[in-house]
Amino acid sequence: MPHLALFFHKKAGMLTYIIRRTLYMLPLLLIVSLISFTLVKIMPGDFLTLARLDPQVTEETLQQQIERFGLDKPFLFQYWSWLKNILLHGDFGFSFVTKMPVYKTLFLGNKLQWTIFIALSTLILQYLFAIPIGIYSATHQYKPSDHIVTFFGFLGLSIPNFFFALVLLWILVVLFKVGNHGLSVGGVMDLKYYTMGWSWAKIVNIMWHMWPVWVVIGTSGMAGLIRLMRGNLLDTLSLPYVQTARAKGLTERVVVYKHAVRNAINPLVTILGLSLPNLVAGSIVTAIVLNLPTVGRSYFSALQRQDENVVMAGLLFFSLFLLLGNLLADFLLAWVDPRIRYD
Amino acid sequence: MKNALILAGLLVFTSLAVFGQGYLEQPADALVIPIGVAGTVYEDMELGVRGGTITIANIEDPKGWNNHTAHETSTTWFTGRMHRGLVNLDHISGALVPDLAKSWEISEDSLVITFHLREGLMWSDGEPITADDVVFTYNDVILNEDVDTNARDGQLLPDDTYPVCEKVDTYTVTFTMSVIFRPALNSLSFNIMPKHALAQYVHKLNPEVPAGTFNETWTLDTPLDELVGNGPWIVSDYQPNVSVTMTRNPYYYAYDPAGTQLPYYDTIISAIVTNQDVSMLKFRNGETDVYGLRAEDIAILNSEAPAKGFSILITSDPGYGTTWFLINQDVGLAEGTDAEKRELYRNVKFREAMAHCIDKDTMINNVLNGLGGPQWSPVSVPSPFYAGRDYYGGPITENNAIIFEYDPAKAAGILDDLGVVDADGDGWRDLPSGAPLNLSIETNDNTTRSASCLILTDDWQSIGLNVTFQIVDFNTLVNNLFGSAGDLIYLGLTGGDEPNGGSNVYRSCGSLHAYRYSACDDPDDIDARVDELLALGANTFDLDAAFDYYTEYQQLLAAQLGYVYTVVQSFQYAYYDYVGNAFKASPTSTPGGNNGLLTELCFDKRLL
Repeated sequence: MPHLALFFHKKAGMLTYIIRRTLYMLPLLLIVSLISFTLVKIMPGDFLTLARLDPQVTEETLQQQIERFGLDKPFLFQYWSWLKNILLHGDFGFSFVTKMPVYKTLFLGNKLQWTIFIALSTLILQYLFAIPIGIYSATHQYKPSDHIVTFFGFLGLSIPNFFFALVLLWILVVLFKVGNHGLSVGGVMDLKYYTMGWSWAKIVNIMWHMWPVWVVIGTSGMAGLIRLMRGNLLDTLSLPYVQTARAKGLTERVVVYKHAVRNAINPLVTILGLSLPNLVAGSIVTAIVLNLPTVGRSYFSALQRQDENVVMAGLLFFSLFLLLGNLLADFLLAWVDPRIRYD
Repeated sequence: MKNALILAGLLVFTSLAVFGQGYLEQPADALVIPIGVAGTVYEDMELGVRGGTITIANIEDPKGWNNHTAHETSTTWFTGRMHRGLVNLDHISGALVPDLAKSWEISEDSLVITFHLREGLMWSDGEPITADDVVFTYNDVILNEDVDTNARDGQLLPDDTYPVCEKVDTYTVTFTMSVIFRPALNSLSFNIMPKHALAQYVHKLNPEVPAGTFNETWTLDTPLDELVGNGPWIVSDYQPNVSVTMTRNPYYYAYDPAGTQLPYYDTIISAIVTNQDVSMLKFRNGETDVYGLRAEDIAILNSEAPAKGFSILITSDPGYGTTWFLINQDVGLAEGTDAEKRELYRNVKFREAMAHCIDKDTMINNVLNGLGGPQWSPVSVPSPFYAGRDYYGGPITENNAIIFEYDPAKAAGILDDLGVVDADGDGWRDLPSGAPLNLSIETNDNTTRSASCLILTDDWQSIGLNVTFQIVDFNTLVNNLFGSAGDLIYLGLTGGDEPNGGSNVYRSCGSLHAYRYSACDDPDDIDARVDELLALGANTFDLDAAFDYYTEYQQLLAAQLGYVYTVVQSFQYAYYDYVGNAFKASPTSTPGGNNGLLTELCFDKRLL
């Protein structure tokens, strides 16, 4: 049974590969945590800076707070006690601002679910649009339609996301006057639907609120994907085996979709893994403008208040996502490309 | 619209189920707010009807539901509406008025204040409000060292002791002070917390919980039906980063003269909108009913107002707070350098020359779009103690103002007399000895402050002073402020009605006496007199006598030019016309302020 043996060999290889990569992540996360901790500590001021500006607050109270939060201990001691709590107790500390455990502060309500939903849906739509457009662009190389597509792609890339979001909201409110039809803008759904159960009306409402999000965040990454798809496909189409396929009499459609695209798409699969962390961590300002309840928002407000424990945990969370994204990318590539082995 | 009504109805129903039915009839001791009553500050307001929902926008999420452990206004905006104290600031006039206490007496020796609570009132869960709650809040929460609260410092008396709070009977409480301290009346407006709901979390009363448990009580993840208050509203729903919903407390004890229980609105929905531009778009889209606008929004909103049915309230009333720059009179002291420059900065004539270059009119017109006023005093303009009045709480006349008019020529003349002239012909004035004089002013990246600094730099440079302007990160700026590390710093501070609230800023040894920390060891005549006046002003309950002390205090500080005041923004506001009584919004009673005019006395005109 040679095929089965090969199959199990590949599966076992995949497993050890995943385990090995996961183990590599741990020292990496440790180094990230140390660098992040250093950066947070050398930022001017600390959590109590704002309190110092309050004319009512006395020196004694400030000193009490310093001791309460352990801000006067030496740097390495603070880092070590933070690390010890995580490794021994799984305790990421508590937020100075909300007095709740850090994970609750970061993931309050449904923030984690919304973050993942927004990231994944944007990712899927991005690819759903970018790949066909890239293929079209490649097969109509240098025609006017190719230039138009490229132009809009770069437009989406160059406009800053938060500005694009504001302009889009402005267009909806001022030009289209959606308020007159009872439609609201920003957020992920109308306020009243948060406490209501699921219904078709709710889903439609979410779609209404989400499409500006998909347009703003999606288009910024799409240009790169379109150009990449286009470039790869053009390269693939110029290879000898494509010529052979054409010579064999296969239709252009079969040549392009069945043979060329399948090979050209490999690099995009890799990028898929890397796009995920980008979407999670990179859209904070857009999330602020569009009022999206994401983890990035909690992280950002913790950063503004120098709420150290939350900032550290947030950084670790994003780093973990990045590493997972990398792992996913490598895994997907190996799965799609039979030439790659795991050792 | 229909859905909003359904939701409102649902919330009212749930709140009734959770909270109780409310008073069967108006309590004998109810607080009656004289809406529409002639001869009061409320006379031009209308009586309203109950019902409806008002939607507003807030910039930040609350950080918890615990009023006394909160350190941010984003939290106290909500918790301050869930609780009330013995006294409060009047919604319109800002004067101290009875709230939970129906009356109080001050003893002969002015050391004991006796409060008489209203009788027969209940918490939002139906439990009675008594003196036990007052004593619990004061002794076991505010004065409790385990509790991480800002409120404790506000209770400190000048001799570093605290007032002693004692229960006399079910509805009577006394506060005994060791020195006569008028501002105590202000600080006794602290919000009262329910003993029956919270005592279990205070280690002092319940040794089974560890010390400090109260600091982690009523955090954001607490089930909302556990929150109990005596204020007009109770939080009933919270969606992180999205909205906070508050419902009327059925046991709130304020009524209007027609016997209608307040507040008029059934619910407030506070949408969390972090970006100001989006907030304005939501207002224009009809999603929010009111909007605290910026000067740059006026042109756009003005053109839309008639068509969309909203009004813009523009006043020349400045708000609370001060904006200033300081000239660091301790420059180089710690390092042992810059002795001549330091001597120059300490010369009041030099500071006067700097003050004569402040073009307040241009700042108001260009930076604040005409919506602001000049500032000369450390006390906020809305305060009844502001020296721009002729008597306590009187109208503003500015008869006592100490003003340094914008007169660059005069400034140049003063500098010439001081010997600060261009000795080396490079176009910039130098120190009297001939050494170069370099000044630098810094602020953070706040557009209003930066623009003001540019105007100042321009004017100083035009009379030959070599001033450079730098924008630094806020935390760095604050560090420079406290470390006496800056040269000229442009910043601002919050303010209130009570001049004694600024004692940490102006006392010679105050922690915010940033223009000259060395005054603590080496006070000049003005520093010494200011210390005396602060003590005298606090040491009497005679408001007119206090007013006189504080007038001298403000004039001395204005002449001393430690913090040099510039301009302050005036108050403007936008609201849809169906929001009744919204036209009375003011700096004392904004939706963002603690008085909550909008949220207690406003109503939906469409329900009439």
